[in-house]
Amino acid sequence: MANRPLQLTLNGKAVDSADIPDDLPMIDYLHEYENLTGSRLGCGQGICHACVVIVDNPDGTSEEVRTCITGAHYFAGKKVRTIEGHASRDEQGKVTELNPIQQRFVDEFAFQCSYCAPGFVNAATLLVEKLQRKPVVNSQLEQVIEDSLGHHICRCTGYVRYFSATRNVLTDLGLVREG
Amino acid sequence: MKHLFLRLSLALGLAAPLLSAHADGQVERGAYLARAADCMACHTKPGGAPYAGGLPIVSPFGTIYGTNITPSKEHGIGLYSDEEFFAALTQGKRRDGANLYPAMPYTSYHLMPRQDSDAIHAYLKTIEPVERDAPQTSLSFPFNIRLGLIGWNMIYAEDLQLQSAEGKSAPWKRGQYMVDVLGHCGECHTPRGETGAMELDKRMAGGVLNGYLAPSLLSDDLAARGWNHQDLASFLKHGMSAQGTMFNEMYPVFHNSTQHLTDADLAAMATFLLGDQPPEAKALDEVAFDKLSPSAQKGRQQYLNVCAGCHAAQGEGKPHIAVAMRGNTTLRLDDPRNLLRVIEDGIAEQQFTGFERMQPMPGFADKLSDQQLTDLLNYLRQSWGGKPGDLAVSDIQALQAQAPSAEH
Repeated sequence: MANRPLQLTLNGKAVDSADIPDDLPMIDYLHEYENLTGSRLGCGQGICHACVVIVDNPDGTSEEVRTCITGAHYFAGKKVRTIEGHASRDEQGKVTELNPIQQRFVDEFAFQCSYCAPGFVNAATLLVEKLQRKPVVNSQLEQVIEDSLGHHICRCTGYVRYFSATRNVLTDLGLVREG
Repeated sequence: MKHLFLRLSLALGLAAPLLSAHADGQVERGAYLARAADCMACHTKPGGAPYAGGLPIVSPFGTIYGTNITPSKEHGIGLYSDEEFFAALTQGKRRDGANLYPAMPYTSYHLMPRQDSDAIHAYLKTIEPVERDAPQTSLSFPFNIRLGLIGWNMIYAEDLQLQSAEGKSAPWKRGQYMVDVLGHCGECHTPRGETGAMELDKRMAGGVLNGYLAPSLLSDDLAARGWNHQDLASFLKHGMSAQGTMFNEMYPVFHNSTQHLTDADLAAMATFLLGDQPPEAKALDEVAFDKLSPSAQKGRQQYLNVCAGCHAAQGEGKPHIAVAMRGNTTLRLDDPRNLLRVIEDGIAEQQFTGFERMQPMPGFADKLSDQQLTDLLNYLRQSWGGKPGDLAVSDIQALQAQAPSAEH
């Protein structure tokens, strides 16, 4: 085991850590080194997707990546967004406005215990951004939501409300076309 | 009343052969032999009705579809006599005299005794007929001319000649029948020439199928990859062992065929493959980090980044999640093709015997650069595979160019 420096962009901020173990999982790096404790360690084996973060690729696409099975050094040089990065904040860092998905999940009581919520928020946020680039037709809406959220596990059985809230956000933002 | 008698006698008359077949265990024996011959693999499409055909078998010459072999008179083999079934199985002759495409392994089955063929036929007669045609095979010219197959058969379809069994043990002989004839293992594990015919002088030395290597099953090669008799038999039974899990084309073979075979037959297969006096399985010492090639040393970080989460930092694997890299047989192949393909393609979730599961492995084709892949392969192969860490990026790219299209 060896330590090595790690540079990446976290929620828009350049982060430079000097001494990160080469085998440290990303979830532990976020929790223990950056005090970003919102990403949840669920299954720890890449299945439940509670731990996902968003990686913004240089080609303009974004994807979710599981931090429980991916090493921190995989993210070297990458642009990463975590659940802490979605809301708008004032100069003191206080949340002033949630993003549309977060707000709708709260309004519609989409989650119960909230353990899976960071993963669902990231996945649904990615979906909003994807459809902002290319809206979806109504007949494909359910499938698109299923493809985006379907692999996320919620043990409080909140799927119906998550799906419904996502559907409503996408519709209200004008991202669903007739057809 | 007359009608009733007529019906009863007809029913009894029709049922009689089946009853007698059941009485002497012929149907049960046939069911077992059909498992051992893995008829299901090609004659059932995934999720489809058993033996109703439809599995696309992609060959360099076009796509061949497994046929319906249920007892349907119109769409299946309901009109076949035992004699005709035997000719189809062992000579590739259809009932109407046409030649079957050599995707049907009649060059292996040709040594099947008539009584085993009859038993399989008796079993197939008991399954539910499916009144549906399998999709039509469409091959490119000249392979679409069945008549041409007479020529192919004359020149290339050299019937399998079994290795002499003189002085061999009874399990070895049984294993030879299970492996070479029923199991037709050589059909994939033997290299094929441009005509599609097996290169019989390299029998069992390993063949390439849809971009994956069906590795050599020669005894010295098996031992060099860490196989001993007990592990090999257990691998066939459970689909997994300390050397890894079944994947790609062997995974359905395990599901449809080998897991259903008796322990005695599986032990016999291992005896045949490794020999009555098996060579000693080669044990490997882990190579220390500072002894690795520069590329392999760099590959360690790729391993920690995207593999260690499931395969563990020291390659020990995690039960029910991912196999160990230490002792893994795929790392020990000279040809790095399977390792590359698995890393690029991933493996879907797998189920094994006894409620055992392995989690899905994601594919990393678009996650790692060719240089990162090369470093990772060198790290895996040199640390735990007993191979030098000297693969170049061009080696990896050459293998990628050979992969089935869709991937690249």
